[in-house]
This record gives sequence, structure tokens and C-alpha cells, in this order.
Amino acid sequence: MSAHATTGQHWDTSVAPLLVAVGCLLAVPLPFASYFQYHSLGMAVGFLGIGVPVLLAGIAVWVQEGIAQKHDQFGYSQMALPIFITSEVLIFLGLFTSYWALRLLAPAWPPAGSPHIGLTIPIIMTIVLVTSSVTYHMAEGKLEEGDMGGFRSMLGLTLLLGVVFLGLTITEYSHLIGEKFTPSANIFGSAFYSITGFHAAHVLIGLGTFIAVLLPALKGKTNMDFVKCAGVYWHFVDIVWFFVVSQIYFW
Amino acid sequence: MRYFSVLRILGAVALTAVPALASGGGGEIADPAHGWDVLWEHVLIDLFAIGAVFAVAAAYWLIKYKADSPTAVGTGPTLSRAQMFGWALIPAFIFMADDFYLAANGWTLWNTYRTVPKDALEVKVTASMWQWNFEYDNGATSDVLKVPAGRPVVLRMTSEDVVHSFFLPKHRVKEDVMPGRVTYLWFYPKEAGKTYVTCTEFCGAQHAEMSADVEELPAAEFNSWLASAGTPAAPAATGAQPDAAPGGAL
Amino acid sequence: MKEWIFTTDHKRVGILYLVGSMAAFAVAGIMALLIRAEQFNPGLGVASEPTQYNTWLYFHGAAMILGFLIPGLTGFAANYLIPLMIGAKDVAFPRLNALSLWLFWMGIVVALLTFVIPDAPDIMWTGYPPYSIKTSGNTAFYVFTVHLIGFSSILGAVNFLTTIIYMRAPGMGWMQMNVFVWSLFTGLIVQLIFVPVLAAAVTLLLFDKYLGTHFFDAAAGGDVLLYQNLFWFYSHPAVYVIFLPAMGLLFEIISTNTKNRPFNYNALVVGMCGLVLITGEVWVHHLYTSGMPDWIRIGQMLTTLMISVPVGVMVMSLWGTLYKGAISFNTGMYYGAACLFLLLLGGLTGIPLAMTALDLHLAETSFIHAHFHFIMGIFAAFVVFGSVFFYFPKMTGRMYNEALGKLSFWLNFIGVNVTFWPLFIIGVKYGMPRRYYDYARIPEATPYHHVATYGAIMVALGITLMLVNWIYSAIKGPKAVENPWRSASLEWTHAASPPPHGNFAAPVTVSSDWTPYNYK
Ligand code: HEA
Ligand code: HEA
Ligand code: CUA
Ligand SMILES: [Cu+2]
Repeated sequence: MSAHATTGQHWDTSVAPLLVAVGCLLAVPLPFASYFQYHSLGMAVGFLGIGVPVLLAGIAVWVQEGIAQKHDQFGYSQMALPIFITSEVLIFLGLFTSYWALRLLAPAWPPAGSPHIGLTIPIIMTIVLVTSSVTYHMAEGKLEEGDMGGFRSMLGLTLLLGVVFLGLTITEYSHLIGEKFTPSANIFGSAFYSITGFHAAHVLIGLGTFIAVLLPALKGKTNMDFVKCAGVYWHFVDIVWFFVVSQIYFW
Repeated sequence: MRYFSVLRILGAVALTAVPALASGGGGEIADPAHGWDVLWEHVLIDLFAIGAVFAVAAAYWLIKYKADSPTAVGTGPTLSRAQMFGWALIPAFIFMADDFYLAANGWTLWNTYRTVPKDALEVKVTASMWQWNFEYDNGATSDVLKVPAGRPVVLRMTSEDVVHSFFLPKHRVKEDVMPGRVTYLWFYPKEAGKTYVTCTEFCGAQHAEMSADVEELPAAEFNSWLASAGTPAAPAATGAQPDAAPGGAL
Repeated sequence: MKEWIFTTDHKRVGILYLVGSMAAFAVAGIMALLIRAEQFNPGLGVASEPTQYNTWLYFHGAAMILGFLIPGLTGFAANYLIPLMIGAKDVAFPRLNALSLWLFWMGIVVALLTFVIPDAPDIMWTGYPPYSIKTSGNTAFYVFTVHLIGFSSILGAVNFLTTIIYMRAPGMGWMQMNVFVWSLFTGLIVQLIFVPVLAAAVTLLLFDKYLGTHFFDAAAGGDVLLYQNLFWFYSHPAVYVIFLPAMGLLFEIISTNTKNRPFNYNALVVGMCGLVLITGEVWVHHLYTSGMPDWIRIGQMLTTLMISVPVGVMVMSLWGTLYKGAISFNTGMYYGAACLFLLLLGGLTGIPLAMTALDLHLAETSFIHAHFHFIMGIFAAFVVFGSVFFYFPKMTGRMYNEALGKLSFWLNFIGVNVTFWPLFIIGVKYGMPRRYYDYARIPEATPYHHVATYGAIMVALGITLMLVNWIYSAIKGPKAVENPWRSASLEWTHAASPPPHGNFAAPVTVSSDWTPYNYK
């Protein structure tokens, strides 16, 4: 942020939003369309090559400014997050509704050719994710006590559990794909991978925010609002997982 | 509340008129297309009445209350609590009453539209990009919809590729045609004539050209056509020939 | 320059939204002219092949809704006015606000690529599968336009809801807010809840087309109607994301120019909230001919008709505001007054569409074009245009040319009526279908199409004059007096024109008997 006093007037500026937006454009729509619509791997890689650094740079600047409290900080993040989560809930509701509609209207479920999906991995995943919610809560506690070291180690542990969760997802996917159960195998495959994958993407975003919290924390800087918000988001992702487990695995 | 009484009279007239027409009286077949024309007229009168009341009020007030000096201030009333409720609830109930009136008539006509008369001729319709195909009970197929005049016709429709919509403007009816489901509609060609069916769900480049003739033939003529067209070999025609669907190669 | 593109100030963000949405409108409007030229006569005319017409129409519909009206109202008007009206320095999250802005612009960029890429999207703004999956056109760009603008809307909604809830000037109660703030509050709740469902729907479309899933593939257990239901579950409420803020803004214009406070404000607020409650239960009225179960079609006919109750309450307030007013007619009020009639025309023609049985003939005909152009393309767009005139002195500190403004108004107003009345008639009379570049079956409709095309040319002239007026006056116009309309709302009484960063010289507080409509 900089406050140029060119006209004697002060206007807040930040380069982060534009960078993030341009980064989004270059990192997702253009490479995706290049590869899938126009079948040009080169162009896709090219766009990714520019887009991802721009996006990451934008996010880095954003987090920096946020941690440094450089902007007009009104401190409403913790009020706004539930509002945002409302819309997230509706995305998941949209996906689950589609799943319910398809499943309840199907003549037989699961459709022929679906493998048996074991319950061991999802149970372990549930335990891992719940534990990570607890460890993050403990991290917050440490931070409130002013114990920076404890905060960092609990945060690190949370991150690790998140990575384990994603690792388990990948294990499960590769096992199922080995059994020829792919997203295009049948309608159950489509729903299974879309919903679990969409949830996994949320876990990934959660981990991204944790990294964004951890990196400055290593240098001893934090922003309590940010830490709290990352936590609420993580708990939300955790709760969604219960629905994924009950609807996809146990039903 | 003069406006309310206008509505009431309109409502009373239409409430008695529409069901009477829709049920056709004495064993006749109720023709939804005719019901449509009647209901449309009633709805137009209703909406025109509402629109006129509000439009005239707006025009009158816009002219009457033009500011006479650049410093003038409006003198609109400040409402008491009872007035607040009154000005909200009374109009709300009037509007709701009109909605119910419209809904009741709409529903009556809807029932006519969806109740297929017993002796209706059944034709299978298959849509594909970008043509209509008609198949009769005896296996006859055609790309012109031939129907006997004086007998209701029910269509059971499905699509081979994308969503299309079967629209018969003359008979005031349409229904979408899609893969994986069978939809139906019926219509009543009272007299011999000619019309056309056209596609009203966007289905690609030739959407605008996806039309077919409808021949409403005198019963005898229709029967002889049907008998001659219905050769036992015909049933194989339903989408079985790979070269039969020029639009299928997308 | 740097202070503009990197800005986080809500007013500049708002103006950049206006620039983006007017750009989308201009390009989409030029597409409309091409559409009208193509429909002038039956048969292929100006388009080189049917698909070209389809890409024009795709861009026209998508850009007008997603690029012009939603950003124009929830982007431009909301950004510029909300913090000023509630007496706040800025929005709750200025940088997030700038991010919404630029995501919207990226969405416009993806949409504009339609004109340069091979295999441009040709799936209409509704994007129904299986066609959108089978086509060789670039469905991905449709999906990403929706994603970018959708994500921008969600962030905007979060930001403004937080701002409205927590950042009102000390002392400002809920029932002291401007009608526009209320309309945006309710409209954004709709946006927050329903946009995600659209995002989910188009994402599944993307998966189906490019990643081989089967959600909408009937042959593999998917369901064609699933998409239509998800899409309209969002897209019907989307029309109220447009309609609510448009009504709110209209109230600001009408109330200030009649020097009357909004009639029965409390009922008006209840009406707006009622519309939010009902809007999620009516989407099947877009699927009356789609083979949905009969009982759902009937149920939603009733709920759809009931929309006229909350809207009717709002209409009573709107009309009541005129009563015993002291009305001054500037260009903003010209648009405001015209909107009263456009609202009746567009809204009441929704009623036969809402009646399932009547819709069996009217669905997908040009009667629907006339309905939604009058209520959306004209009513809501006129509110946006009127509000730009109305807030012009505030935004630029300069005055537009009144005579030119009125001239362009008359061209626009007469022009749209000449354009869209014929479409009503041929829709009912001949069942003129939508999305037809050719109407060889209906040669009788040709003269009507001629008239409609002439009307569109008239509108083009009016719009051009309007844009010239804005651009010229913003640079060269005479200095405007402070508060030329004698408004009592905070943005006029407490802030300079144009307002500086931070908006108010001193923090604003209001007393319990303050209202933004206390005219003197
Ligand atoms: C801003 C946009 C907007 C708004 C506000 C509306 C408002 C309404 N619309 Fe419209 N509509 C569209 C934009 C909009 N619409 C679009 C874009 C489409 C086409 C989409 C596509 O397919 O591409 C469409 C299509 C559409 C259909 C689908 C037709 C079809 O595809 O078969 C229907 C059917 O019910 C409908 C109904 C209504 C109704 C009942 C209202 C009501 O909200 C109107 C309420 C207003 C009034 C009724 C007037 C004022 C009230 C009074 C004066 C009180 C007294 C009145 C009575 C008692 C009746 N609209
Ligand atoms: C906000 C919404 C909006 C607006 C404002 C408009 C405005 C117009 N629309 Fe559109 N329209 C839609 C939303 C809108 N439309 C939608 C959603 C569809 C359905 C799409 C679908 O089926 O999927 C549709 C479909 C549609 C059709 C149907 C085509 C078909 O189904 O085959 C037609 C046909 O006449 C049409 C015409 C017009 C015209 C003539 C205008 C005019 O009012 C336009 C006036 C504007 C101009 C003429 C531009 C002027 C600008 C300049 C002159 C530029 C000057 C530039 C500089 C100075 C830099 N529209
Ligand atoms: Cu088939 Cu349109
Ligand atoms: Cu709707």
C-alpha cells in the first residue's frame, strides 16, 4: 500500500487485487480452455507459467499487507466469514441435491460396475480431520496465551494432519481408479469424485491459508483476525466432511 | 374501491364462463386450444384493468403535482399505524384474490391440457438434430405428422440427442422433448387443414429450421394413408439406420 | 492512473464498475443491432452462417445480464452509494472490493474473447445440456465467465452485507436506512444464497463436457432436467438481484424529485423481504414446458402469481410517493417516471407467463422477449441510466447537459417501445419462436420485425447521445452546485462532490429522528 500525495489528496491503493484477479484469469480459464478445448498443451503450460506466479505474488502481497495491518482495517473479518460460509454451504447443497436427485431417481444404486468402497480409509480420514480441528483450536489457545512457539508447533501439526488427509484421498483415488472406477465410469463415479474432490479442494485451500499464517508466524508476526478466520473455515470444512462421509460412504 | 368491484365482476363472469367452455358441455371433447383463447382474453382484460388503474394514476399525479416553485416540498401524508397496515394489507389481499382467481382458471385449463381423451390417436415422436420423426401404432413412420381431423391426437415424445421442444402454434401447445424421458402432449384437430410444428428449445445451428408439416386429413383419407404406409417391415426404421440422421454427426 | 487501477476506494471501484458494465452494454447492444439486422427478413441475412448468429445472441444475453445489469446495480451503484448513504468511510473490506471489481473485469475479458477465438460459445446464456456438452463450441469460456463474475458477486455480497450490518453511522437504525440500502441488503442476500448454486451447476457442466462425467447424460444414468432445475433455481432469483436494487434506486430518484418521503416505508421494507422469501420457490415457471411433474408446475404457478403480492406492496409505495408531491422534471426524473409505466408493462406481462396453461403457448416465443426486455432490459436499465444522470453531479462535480439528456431519453423511450411491442404481438399471434435467425415458416411476421429493427436503430441513436453527454460533461461540463436536487440523504448533505477518500470530513452521526427523506 502506498499513499501518494500527488494532488494533495490521499487515495489508498494496493496492487494485490489486480494481481490476484489477473492471476486467476491466467491460471485457470485460459490454461483449461487451451488444453481441453483447443488441445494445446504448450499454450496451457505457457498460461500456467505466467498465471501461477502472478497469482502467488498477488496472494503474497495481500497477506503481507494484511499482517502488517497496513490498510484501513475495520476488523470485520470475523463477522463476514459466516456470511461467506453461507454461500459455501449452498455450493455443497447444490452438489448434494444433485447427488440425491440422481440417486433417488436411479433404478438401482450403486449402478452396475461400481466397486465396493471400503470404509476403513474414510474412517481414518474422519479421525485425522477431527484431530486437526482440535489441534488448530489448541494452536489458537496457545496464541492467546502469547506462546508463539507452541502456536507454531500446533499449527505445524495441523498442517501435517491436513496433508495426511489429502494423502489418504490420493491413496483411495488411485486404488479405485486401479479398479477402473473413474469419474466417467458411471453416474456414481461422477458424483463420488465431484463431491469428494470438491471437498478435498476446500481442504487444500484451508492448508493454503495455514501456510499463509505459518510463514509470517515463523518470523514472529501474526494477525489474530486472520488466525481466527482460518480456524472457523477449517472447522467448516471439517463439518462438511461429516456430510460427505454419511452421504457418500455410509448411505 | 371501485377497482375491486370491476375485478369482482370480471372474476364472476370468467369464473362461470371458463369452466363451462373448458368442459365443453355434453360429452364433447374439451379443446384446450379454444380454452386458451378464452382464458387469454380474460387475463388480458384483467391485466389491462390493473394496468390502466395504475397507469392513469401515475400519469395524473405526475401532471397534477408538478412542482410550482423550485423550493416547493411535497406534502404527502404521514401515516398512522393503522393506516400503514391498511395501505399494505388491503391491496395485498386484493392482489392475492386476483392471483387466486387467475390460478383457479389457469388450473382448470391446465387440467384440460393434461387430461388426454380416451380415444385419442397415439403417435410416437422422435426428435433429433434437426428433424422430427413420427411413428404410428402399426409401424408406419413419416416425417410429416398426418392426423385424422375430428379425433384427438396424443404424442409420446423423446429425443435422440439434445433437448428440443415440440410446438404447434395453431393448437397453442408445446412440450419439451429430451433424451432419457418420454413427455406427452395432446391436441384436437377439429377440421381438416394444414399447419406446422416447429422447435422451440435451442438445439444448435439448424434450430430455426427444425420444422415439419402437419396434415390434418379427413378421417377416411388418413385411414387409407395409414393402412398403406404401415408395412410390417417399417418398425426397423426407428433410429436403426446409421445414415438416417444427417444431424447426428456432431 | 496508478491511483485508479490499484485503487481500493469504493467510489473509484464503483466508477470502474460503471465503465466495465457500460462497455459490456455497448458491445452487447451492438450485438443486439446485429441480431435485429439478421431478423429483419427471414432467411440468412447479415450472419455468414447460423452459428454466428448464435454466438451473437449468446454474447448479447450473457453480457447484458452478467456483464451489464448485475454489475451495474450491485457493482457500480452499490459501491458508489452504500458507504456514502450509511455514513461510512469505505466498505468493510476495501481490497476485497477491488478484487471483486477485477474478477468482474476478467469475466468480461473472457466473454469478449468470444469474438476472437475459434469455436466461440454458441449455447445461449442458459447453456442447457446436452447441447452445451455436445457442441464443438467453447463451453468452457461460458462456464468461466459465470465463475469469475459469480465469484466476484459473492465476494461483493459478503462485503456489502457486512458493511450494511456493521458500519452504519452511529445512531442510524435499520428503519432509517435509504430504500436503496434496504433493496441492496435484500438483493444481496438473494445473491449470496443463489449464485453458488449456479456455480455448482455450470461446474458440473464443465466436468461433463471435458472430464467425462455423466451428470446430464441420460444414457449413463444422468438427468437432463437436473441442470435446468439448478440453473433456474439461481437464475430466477437473479432477476430479483436486478429488480430489487433497481426498485431501490428508483425510489431514491422518485422520492428526491417529488420531495416526498417514500410512502409507507415500513410496508415497502416488508415487501422487499417478502420477495426474498418467495423467490426461491418459483423457478419451475421457466420449466413449464420441460416435462416436470404436473403437480410441481401447478404449485409453482401459484407461488409465481403470488410474487405480485410483495411487488404490489412495493408498487403501492412507489405510487403513493407521487401523491401530493412537488415534482421536478430533470433527466433523472424522466427516466424515473418512464420506469413506472415500464414496470407495469413488464411486470404484468409476467402474469400470463406465470399461468402454466397459457405459458404452453407463450413459452419460448418472442412474447417472452418483450416481457423481459421491458422489465429487465428497459426498466432496470433505465433505472441505471437515470441514476447515472441523477448522481452525475455527485460523481463528477459537474453538470450534464439537460436538453441533450432529455432528447436522448425520448429517443430511448420511444425506441424501445417501437422495438418490443411488435415482439409481443408476433409472439402471441404467430408463436414466433426465440433464438431463430430464420423464420421462413412465418413470413407474416416480417413487417413486425422491420418495425422492431427500426426501433433498435432509434435506441442506438439515443444511447450514443447519452454516452456522448456523459463523457463530454464529465470532462467539460459546467461546475455543479452542491446538492442540486435538494436531497436530504447523507451522500448529498454531508459529503463534497465528488467526495474525497474517506468520504466525510468528520465522522457522521445521526439522531433518532433523522431520515434520508426529510426534504426542506
Ligand atoms: C429483472 C428481470 C425480471 C423480472 C423483475 C421479472 C419478473 C417477473 N417475471 Fe420474468 N423473466 C425474466 C426477467 C424478469 N422477470 C427473464 C430474463 C426471463 C427469460 C429468461 C430466459 O428464458 O432467457 C423471464 C421469463 C419469465 C417466465 C418464463 C417464461 C417461459 O420461459 O416460459 C415467467 C413465467 O412465469 C416470468 C414471470 C415473471 C413474473 C410473474 C414476474 C413478477 O416478478 C412481476 C411482478 C410485477 C407485477 C405483477 C407488476 C406490478 C404489480 C402490480 C401492479 C400489482 C397488482 C398485480 C397483480 C395482482 C397481478 N418471467
Ligand atoms: C439487460 C438486458 C438486456 C438489454 C438491455 C437488451 C437490449 C436489447 N435487446 Fe436483448 N436480450 C436479453 C437481454 C437484454 N437485451 C436477453 C437475456 C436475451 C435472451 C438471450 C437468449 O435467448 O439466450 C435477449 C435477446 C434478444 C433478442 C432475441 C433474439 C432471438 O431470440 O433470436 C432480441 C431480438 O430482437 C434482442 C434485442 C435487443 C435490442 C434491440 C436491445 C436494445 O435495447 C439495445 C440497445 C443498445 C444499443 C443499440 C447499443 C448502443 C451502443 C452504441 C451505439 C455504442 C456506442 C459506442 C461508443 C460511443 C463507444 N434481445
Ligand atoms: Cu430442435 Cu430447436
Ligand atoms: Cu423467473
